[in-house]
Formats: sequence, structure tokens, C-alpha cells
Amino acid sequence: MFDSERRQFLKSSAMAAATAIAHGSAVTLPIINAAEEKSDVRWDKAPCRFCGTGCHVQVGVRDGKVVAVMGDRNADVNKGLLCVKGYHVGSALYGKDRLTKPLLKRGDGYQEVSWKTAINVIADRIEAAPEQFAMYGSGQWTIPEGYAAQKFMKGGLSNNHIDPNARLCMASAVTGFLATYGVDEPAGCYQDLDQCDVLIMWGNNPAEMHPVLFSRVVDRRSRGEKVLLIDISTRRTRTTEECQHYLEMKGHGDLAIANGIAHLLIKNETCDQRFVESFCNFKTHEEENPTLHGRQISFEDYKRLLEPYTPEKVEELSGVPAAQIRMLGDLFGNPDLKITSLWCMGMNQHTRGTAINTMVHGIHLLSGHFGRPGDAPTSLTGQPSACGTVREVGTLSHALPGGRLIADAEHRAQTEAFWNLPEGRINPTPGAHTVAMWDKFCTPSEEGGDINTLWVQVTNPGQTLPHLNKLFNPLADRGKLKDKFLIVSDIYPTATTRLADLILPSAMWVEKNGMFGNSERRTQQWFKMVEPPGEARDDCWQTIAVAHQLHERGMAGMKDRDGNFLFHIVNEAGDTVPIWEWEHYYDVNVDEHLFNEYRQFTTMKHKNLAPYSAYVKARGLRWPVVETEDGDWQETRFRFVEEFDPFVEEGKQIQFYHSSTHDDRAQIWFHPWIAPAEVPDEDYPFMLTTGRVLEHWHTGSMTRRIPELSRAMPSAYLEINPVDAEKLNVKNSDMVLVESRRGKLELPVWINGRGACPEGTVFIPFFDETLLVNNLTLDAFDPFSKQPDYKKTAVRLRKL
Amino acid sequence: MNTSGIQTLAAAIVVAAAVTGYFVGLQSPMNPVTNTVSQRRAAPAHFEEQSEQVVPATSYLEISKLDLTGMIGIADLSHMRPRLDPDQEIKIGPEEKTIALAAREKNRAFNGAPPTIPHPVTELPANSCMVCHGEGAKTESLRISQISHPYLTNCLQCHVQQHPEWIAPEKFRENLFVGLAAPTAGPRAFELAPPQIPHSVWMRDNCSSCHGLTGLQGIRTTHPWRKNCMQCHAPSAELNQMKLLSSAPSFLPGPEIEDASATDNAEGNNND
Repeated sequence: MFDSERRQFLKSSAMAAATAIAHGSAVTLPIINAAEEKSDVRWDKAPCRFCGTGCHVQVGVRDGKVVAVMGDRNADVNKGLLCVKGYHVGSALYGKDRLTKPLLKRGDGYQEVSWKTAINVIADRIEAAPEQFAMYGSGQWTIPEGYAAQKFMKGGLSNNHIDPNARLCMASAVTGFLATYGVDEPAGCYQDLDQCDVLIMWGNNPAEMHPVLFSRVVDRRSRGEKVLLIDISTRRTRTTEECQHYLEMKGHGDLAIANGIAHLLIKNETCDQRFVESFCNFKTHEEENPTLHGRQISFEDYKRLLEPYTPEKVEELSGVPAAQIRMLGDLFGNPDLKITSLWCMGMNQHTRGTAINTMVHGIHLLSGHFGRPGDAPTSLTGQPSACGTVREVGTLSHALPGGRLIADAEHRAQTEAFWNLPEGRINPTPGAHTVAMWDKFCTPSEEGGDINTLWVQVTNPGQTLPHLNKLFNPLADRGKLKDKFLIVSDIYPTATTRLADLILPSAMWVEKNGMFGNSERRTQQWFKMVEPPGEARDDCWQTIAVAHQLHERGMAGMKDRDGNFLFHIVNEAGDTVPIWEWEHYYDVNVDEHLFNEYRQFTTMKHKNLAPYSAYVKARGLRWPVVETEDGDWQETRFRFVEEFDPFVEEGKQIQFYHSSTHDDRAQIWFHPWIAPAEVPDEDYPFMLTTGRVLEHWHTGSMTRRIPELSRAMPSAYLEINPVDAEKLNVKNSDMVLVESRRGKLELPVWINGRGACPEGTVFIPFFDETLLVNNLTLDAFDPFSKQPDYKKTAVRLRKL
Repeated sequence: MNTSGIQTLAAAIVVAAAVTGYFVGLQSPMNPVTNTVSQRRAAPAHFEEQSEQVVPATSYLEISKLDLTGMIGIADLSHMRPRLDPDQEIKIGPEEKTIALAAREKNRAFNGAPPTIPHPVTELPANSCMVCHGEGAKTESLRISQISHPYLTNCLQCHVQQHPEWIAPEKFRENLFVGLAAPTAGPRAFELAPPQIPHSVWMRDNCSSCHGLTGLQGIRTTHPWRKNCMQCHAPSAELNQMKLLSSAPSFLPGPEIEDASATDNAEGNNND
């Protein structure tokens, strides 16, 4: 029938550049026979490797290789469905150019070195200047990987220079939740999508970015249900095509729209008086040195501040017609409807990201559209464990696990106690956040750039940082940066490895044990199913091996209060397992040990997690997870609501028990409309916005190696309105030069591409490592979350 | 074609138009998309450029250019079907099955992966797929498969086009993934027993989508007059993931490492 060579040929023939067709021996593939007692394909559960939706897949493994992927029908998130990326996630392991050996830069090239050498090189760098070392991690770190890095840096090196790429993607969502509820992460869950009457998407394109969730909504229509979809956006997308209403706004128009809705709720007296009086306070920012606590104001003050935001004024600021603002006001003013808001990068990658996040929470609270299934303000995440690893484990320069803060002495003491560290081990000064970290790393040491060694794990900052010509690959004299050392752990060569001094080959996804935490507070677990290629090894092992090497060299920080190694693990017999030796790393389940240790941190903010073993049996559990009388572990769908949340006191109905004002109330914020950091002008007349496409995930380092996805979306492009194209005299595939104040890029035109931009706006996706749009973007960031704005860059275009 | 044939055709067109109109009417209980700023997307410019080579009929691609505002609905293509004797037994040779399975393999990464789209698509609403794939059809030259999961409406979420018309890709990175092959037959208890279904039936609950008239010849049912397929052909509990909840995965034993310490020692002086 079909031998492997033939299948190989079918795949390879589609690749234009395939010069060498790799194939193994001509082994005939056995035919799968479902009814046989022993099928030769072993199926196991795992969350998908890609986005923050957190679909579960069934991974089919035969002869040590992943051969097929199915949607997991027993998973509540996706109920058997996947998107095109999810179905092809298995191919992500088998790109021909997987990194399989540690590579050390020697002169202009790289030399293969042993792991022992690689670990020693890192230990040398850290030992020489531990305070100048930094780790840059990821929302794709598994929970145990992030936890190990966190403990190694803050507990071991007393160094808070650890920050994740999630700073670039959901930091403003975090500050929005904290400012509103005093605790991070959405109160609702995906069930809201099944039960809402109205779904409002704020600068969000879930049809491409969270397709399974979008299907969960639009497929309701094929069951005869009615749901009103509203798209508030700066360009038409596939999402728009399914929406009844499209509200096209200018950049930062969302700030005006949210204020306009609040204005109308007050003017029409359609606020939910009872809800607001029982459960809310009003706040605005301080005049000087604004903080997330702001200053409390009265309802009358709030009303007065909103006075100017009439529908007509909002139309002027946002570009959305007053009639549509009134429509939104009427929808929110109708207590019989259930309204869910969804957002992701549009509201987060925003120089007023914290403000707009709090304001969308605010209109839900003001109108009482909160706390019933279907009534929820919900932020989505783009990475599989942005919530689990970054927000919960706290792998941020200012945070400690379980919602704790570096700056809080009590939190530091608790963390030292859990880690069994001597008092005062944790440095009380927050470390450098992402933009500051890379700025310090790219600034010559003699000019004050006091980070000289940076270890990147599971991410690709050489493609995703804004203003790359400053923050990753400075155009200045590279000779001045000779003493800087970049370490990159990854699975493929990327835009980041091209500047690396040491490249470490990593294991990925089902090549290792792992845990992720998705957008709806769901913690998920999977087991290793196949071996990583060559000498690729787990990132978690890499961190522990370096820690142990420093321990061997006598670095005091690598010991706990009792003189034990920071990652001391004993087996059932009570013997120490040398997990820092790769041969012994899987002698015990390191994930289980680290997770069960981390669990202790989670009760302070009522984000209680179950023991590891409970997740093995489940398709994820949404925290808080509490133990029932019969020993089961019970998850929570809707937080702060008495009916669902075990931590709400009896009779309270709704209780924001982590309220920043300590009165069980949420905060409704007023923020004024403020113009974007950069707006088009005479010199740079176009507004450039960036984003993703369905087929590619993040920087494409995985999806661009999957033939079905690459063929569907081969390269980046400039999406442009037909009128602008005509003015520039360009047609499809013509090359244009796009220039911003920070860089330039040449790329092909796609008129009305995947989406459709209005006149004056252009769009470029960021997945293509050969066409780096972040050479153009700006590094201005939100004052609270430090998250940059990738969505509004002024550019000019020239036909080539 | 004689006069009566033309009349029949004309009548058919009128009826089809009426039916389409009726369905369009039914299809737009949702208010039409309101857009107060930008107009519905204009036709991509590359369609214009090719106008000299294009036959002056409405091609699939040009549907988007027509002024059919709101006219994207589900049409009824059933009148296109040739008249066949539904009771005719179909004979399938083993080589035809091989050809069919090879054809299926060409447009999917592994058995069970969503097939890729062999024709250009536009960014129109997903239900434009249903205009053709809602009913499916077969002509001398064209085989339009019928959707087997009509309750899933966001088609382009899983099915992607492989040859975007707007730009020629330069290079792709190679991939060594080898996908699971399709089963060649379902297992039987004995020679004349009805075979068990050798694939998952999730999202494949309309058997005729692949095994019916519009299916590939080599995998069509030999007895098309029988409609209640699962009366005789039982699905597989394993492939339908019916028993996975009860079987929890387990922690695998440690990896076997070939002589890791030897490599390290051999190269240990690298670090000097």
C-alpha cells in the first residue's frame, strides 16, 4: 500500500525548496485496525501546544513518533473540535531543522559542545556576575518550568531580573483585573459563550485567534439559538463576517466608547442601582504618580467626569456613529440580556491598556451584567500558559508565586518559608520588566547597561520585541556589546538564535511532562509520550542542571535553610534523586514534585489547586479547586458568585473577597480618552496595526515548519485598502517599502487581504521571521503594566 | 437541446432562483451587517487584471464581485444531480480503492486530519461554503463533497487553502512528519460479516458524504439503497473516544540515554 517513502515524497514534493528528500528505510506502515485487541497506535491526552484556548487533543503515538491528532471529545473546552493548527500540532515536532546539540558561538560560527560544557559556560557567566544575569521566559513555559526558573532566580540568586514574553501580551489584562477586583484572572469561563445573548468583541478576532471558542458561539446558530455578535474593531476580519454589527473605530476609540456607554447608562438611568450600591466603589487615577489603587470618588464625581462623553462626542473621538453608541448603551441598559465581552491583544497592546481593561469591567459592573452565566467581561490569552505559568506562578519581575509581590515584606517572608530559605534571601527590589531588561542588555555596560547575560527560554524575542532595532539588534556599534552573552533554549533556529552566543536544544510539548493553565483558569496536565530528538532536553532540567552546577561550586544561594539543594527531591525510599543528571531526570516525576510544592502558594488568593494526581485524571480543572466531603476535587466555574464559588460567604450573593478597598466591593474606574502614543501625520500618514492570522501561531517558529499551514499562508504581507492601493498605484504582489520612525521593511501588497483595512490603515502579521514587522513598531508602553502597544504605529508607504 | 429542453432549463432556472431567494430570505433573520464607515470589501484587484482571459460567465472566484448584497445563503443544488438508479449495485475493484485512498492522502496530513481545500477561497462568510458543500454534487468533471458535520459552521477554521492565489511562496521549511495512513478495510468477524467502521464517526456522521454518490469511486458503498448504515456497521469505541475517560494516562519510564557521560567526558576539556 503506502510505504513511508511514498508518503514522504507526497509531503516533500510540495516544498519548493526541498533539495534533499529525507527518508528512512522503506518500512511499510501497518494498517490501523480498530477492532483489534491491541491497536498499535497509543492515544493519550494533552492540551494543544498553541494558543491560550486550551483545547485538549488526543495524541496518537506509534513506534515512538506522533502520527495523528484528534480533538478530545471528553474535553469541556473544545468538545472534540480543533482548529487547523491544532490538528497539525503533531507535525511541529518533526521540522527537519530541529536543534539537537548544544551550540556554542566560536568566531563567526557555532561549535557543537556537550551539555556538560554548555552548563559550565552558563554557570561561569552567572558566577562572575550573578546580579547582571537575567532570565526571559514565556507563557509557553510549563507551570513546573516557570516555577523552577522563578525559584532559581528569586530564591537562589536573590535576583529579580526574570520576566516573561507575556508582558508583551497580557500584562494590561492583569493590571485591569487587579485594579478592578483586587485579584487577577477572569471571574467567568467559556460557558459564558454558550449562554450569552450578546457577545461584544473589543478589538478581537477570535475567528482566527481563538477559533474553537468562536465556533462555540457561532455553532449555536446551527442549533437554532440566537446570539447577537458585535465587532468593535479597527479593521474588518473573518470575525466581522459573522457579526450583525460592525463598529469601526479609530485607534484608542475604545476608551471613548466605554465612556460613552457608561455616560448613557447614567443618563438613561439604566444602571443596575442595586448591584452598584451593594458591590461597587468608584475610582479614578491620582493627579500625580498614579497607582493601581487610584483615589476613591463618589458616584456624583463619576457622573460628572462622564458628562462630556455624549454619543456625539464619542463619535468624534472614536469614529463610531452616535447611533451605534446608543445601541450599545441600550443593550447594556437591558437587564434581561446576558452580555459577554471578549478581548485579547487589541485592548492589551495599548498604551492605555490598564485603563481600557478597567473600563470594560466597569460598564459590566455598572449595568449589572456580571455574575450570571453569560454575563461576563472576559479577557482571553494568546499563549497556552500565560495564565498558569506567568500570572499564577508569578514569573514577572515584580511578583512571587500565588499573587504575591516582591515589594511586600510579608509576601517575601511567606515565600521564603515555603521555599525553606533563610530570612531576607529574596531581594526586596523588583527586577527589570521586559522592555527595561532588553534595553539594559542592549546598552553597552560602560553606558549603564547592567544586564550582561540573558537566558531566553521557550520564546522568540528577536521577533516579538517592539522596536527591534533598539531592543534586540541595536544598530549601534556591536563592538561595544562584546561582553554581552545571550543564551537561547529553543527547538528550532529562530530570529533570536541568530544572535545567540549559546544555543541549547530543548524538548517540546509531548516530548516532556508538562502542565499549562488556560484562559478560563483551567490547569491541565500531560505526560511525556515520545523522546526528544538528539540531545534535546527539558527546559526545566536545564535550569535545575545550572542551579546544581552553581551549588557544586559552592554558591550559597543554591542551598536552603537546612543546607539542601534548592531542588532537592527524594524518591519513595527516601533517597536523593540526582535529577540534575539527565539520565536520572525521569527517575521521578519532577513535575509532580514541583507542582505539589507550588500548590502551597495558591491558597492566599483563593486560587486553590488540587494535587497533581487530580489533574492526571481530568481534562483540566478550573481553580479554585476544593476538596469535597467524599474526597473528590471540585472545580469552580464562576468566581465571586455565591451559587458557584465556595469562598463566597453565605447570603452575600456576590462577594469580591479580594477587594482592594477591603469591603468586598469591585472598583468602577473612570479614565479619560487619551490619544495613542503615535498618530498618523503628514510625514507618516498611515496607521499600521499588527497581529496574527489563523494558520500561524506566535512567531511561526513551529507553524511555519508545518507544510499544510505554510502552504496556506506562506509569508507576511501588507494588507491595504483598495483606495489607498490605487493612490499608491500598487496591485497585489507588488512590493512596497514601509517606513516608520524606527525602521523599514519591504513586503508584498495584498489588497483587502485576510481582513480589510479602512482607508489610512494598513496591517502586517508578525509571524514571518523573514519580514520582521517589529522593526517598525514602537516601544511606548502602558504606565502600569509596562506592556507595549503593537497596534498603532505611524508609517509611510512607497511603491518599489 | 430541443425547445422543450430549453423550456425545462429555463423553468429550472426560475425555480432555482425562487428557491434561492426563498432561502436567502430565510437566511437573513440576522440583521444584515451594518457598517457605517467602510463599504463591503471590493473585489480583489487581481481579478480585474485577468479579465481578458476569463470567460464572460460568472466564475466561482468572481461571485464576490457580483452585487449580491446579502445574497449569500444556502442554495439547493440537488437539481444538478444526474438521475441514477438508486438500486443499482456498485462494483468496486481493489485497484479503485487504492486510487481513492491515495487521492485522499494527497490533501491531508494524516488519516483524520481535516482535508485541505483544493480551490481558491475568498474571505466571504463561511456559509458561502455551504452553497456547494451543503448538498454536494457530482458531474463528469467535478466532485463536490457534501459536508458531514453541518452543525459546525466555521469551515475555514479547519480547512485551509493550499495555493494562495495572491503570492507565490518562495521557500518552505522541510518537515519529516509521517502521518497515520488510512485504514484499507474495517475488521470483520468472518468473511461475509459486515465490516466494523475503521475510523471515528465524530464529525463523520453523514456516511454518504464519503461513501455516497459524491464520494470517491473506490470507497463508495456497494449497496446505495441501504440508508441505515450503522444498523450493520458498528463504530469503534476506541476511535470514538468512548472509553478514554476511564483510562487515565500513566507516567512513562525514564528515557534511555546512550552513553551520555561518555560524550561529556570526551569533550570535557572544551570548557578550558
